[in-house]
Amino acid sequence: MDNAYAVAALWVGLAFLAAMIAGWTGLSVSLAEILVGVAAGNLLHLKTTEWISFLAGFGSGLLTFLAGAEIEPGIVRRHWRETFAIGLLAFFLPFAGVWAFAYLVAGWGLRQAEIAGIALSTTSVAVVYAVMVESGFNETNLGRIILAACFINDLGTVLALGLLFANRNWYLLAFVLATAVVLPVAPRLTQLVIAHTRGRVSEPEVKFVLLLMFFLGGIASAGGSEPILPAYLIGMVLAGTFLRERTLVQRMRAMAFSILTPFYFIRAGTLVSLQAMVASVGLIAVLLGLKVATKFVGVRPITAAFRFPQREAMYTTLLMSTGLTFGTISALFGLTHGVIDQRQYTILVTVVVLSAFVPTLIAQQFFKPDLAAHLAVDAARRVPIGAPAPALPDEAADSA
Amino acid sequence: MMFKRILVGLDGSAGSKRALSAAIRLAAEQGAELIAVSVEERLPHYAAMVGEVEEAKQQANEYFARVQREAYDRAKQAGIELRCVTLAGHAAQRIVEYANAEKVDLLVLGHSGHTGVWGQFLGTTADKIVRHAPCSVLIVR
Repeated sequence: MDNAYAVAALWVGLAFLAAMIAGWTGLSVSLAEILVGVAAGNLLHLKTTEWISFLAGFGSGLLTFLAGAEIEPGIVRRHWRETFAIGLLAFFLPFAGVWAFAYLVAGWGLRQAEIAGIALSTTSVAVVYAVMVESGFNETNLGRIILAACFINDLGTVLALGLLFANRNWYLLAFVLATAVVLPVAPRLTQLVIAHTRGRVSEPEVKFVLLLMFFLGGIASAGGSEPILPAYLIGMVLAGTFLRERTLVQRMRAMAFSILTPFYFIRAGTLVSLQAMVASVGLIAVLLGLKVATKFVGVRPITAAFRFPQREAMYTTLLMSTGLTFGTISALFGLTHGVIDQRQYTILVTVVVLSAFVPTLIAQQFFKPDLAAHLAVDAARRVPIGAPAPALPDEAADSA
Repeated sequence: MMFKRILVGLDGSAGSKRALSAAIRLAAEQGAELIAVSVEERLPHYAAMVGEVEEAKQQANEYFARVQREAYDRAKQAGIELRCVTLAGHAAQRIVEYANAEKVDLLVLGHSGHTGVWGQFLGTTADKIVRHAPCSVLIVR
């Protein structure tokens, strides 16, 4: 179909259908878009065009930027030992385990195994955040530590994707130098732009943030790297600014949700082959099990080292085993750069989507900690400043 | 039978408003404490973006703040100090958990509240609460 308007109407129509399905079922709109994309790709044989690929890439960049900007720097600083230890181990062990399995057992190539390792080492801040809000744990220290650890895990993912697949050339050096110059000054510059242009309907502050993203993304792309790395890093350094400037966040979200991320998620779905999915059910099950098992090997012991009670440790480990956004982004990167084929892409995306459901359901059903006890302990820890922190319920029982 | 602490489910539907009226009458007659609980159950599951959950939660918060303000004013007119609570998650599960935690004597619910597609298949929120509630349940039609 050469008519760009007709193509746009079809894609936006699918995005509208996904939004309606999300409303009816309670699923997130992103997941609904992936599922609608799978149906459209397999039943309607929907194809992408160059401009759709660009919009999808822009959508994934903006998605990554917003993911970086949603970090709460204060939480990471306050609980840096736990968050870095849990987050880094939750990245490295699954990356190494899945890479080794894909390369040594499944017979995938070296680069293909790297994509598999990256895609399945991810966690999902958004899936975990939704669980936290539903269960009330977003108000507790435990919930904040898990969320901050998810951010560190995702940082490992974007760094691996950005650096492992970059060409070692002058552009990479230029990207490193430009990033080193831009990142430290980005918050101050953004704040200056906001202060001087606040309230203008032309939204100069939004354009400035996009300029930073495209500038670094352009250099990264020229170096063969993935533009999501600079997007996530800019998001992270602007997180403090975004905590104060809620209107800016809302405008960028509106832009992302309404027109950009639907193209990304629907496209990600269209590239999934149902035939390949059915043919690879066994490998999908093994990789899902491996993802969760390697998260256990990485996360469970470290939670014990930080004296998390049994239930809290299992809950943390299971929630760190989730995945969605960065898993699909990594798999799509592999497919669009010719590293993996459609069958491998289908396997990875299916495992990633399943990992959004399975660990979450198990954690909520069998290992949800006692919210009231955590709120009470957190409140007690806050009130008498300088006093010894009271033990969590299980800690108290253990010491007794 | 005397009730000391009554919990009423409040989702802004016509059914829940009828339940509130009955709960206010009962609380006034029996000198009981009255708590209204609202559950944000339409938050997106398995989200890919924190913003999607945050925006949905903000909209739900604003909606329930309006509903609870109206309920508070109605109770105040009857001389009852209504305590309002908003929770998130599965409505039946959270209401039962809350009733347990607060040791309420009576749960008052409207018969047909807002409910999603799954609710049509699996029964209403009230049906599920009746099966699992730790106390007496009054369904108001």
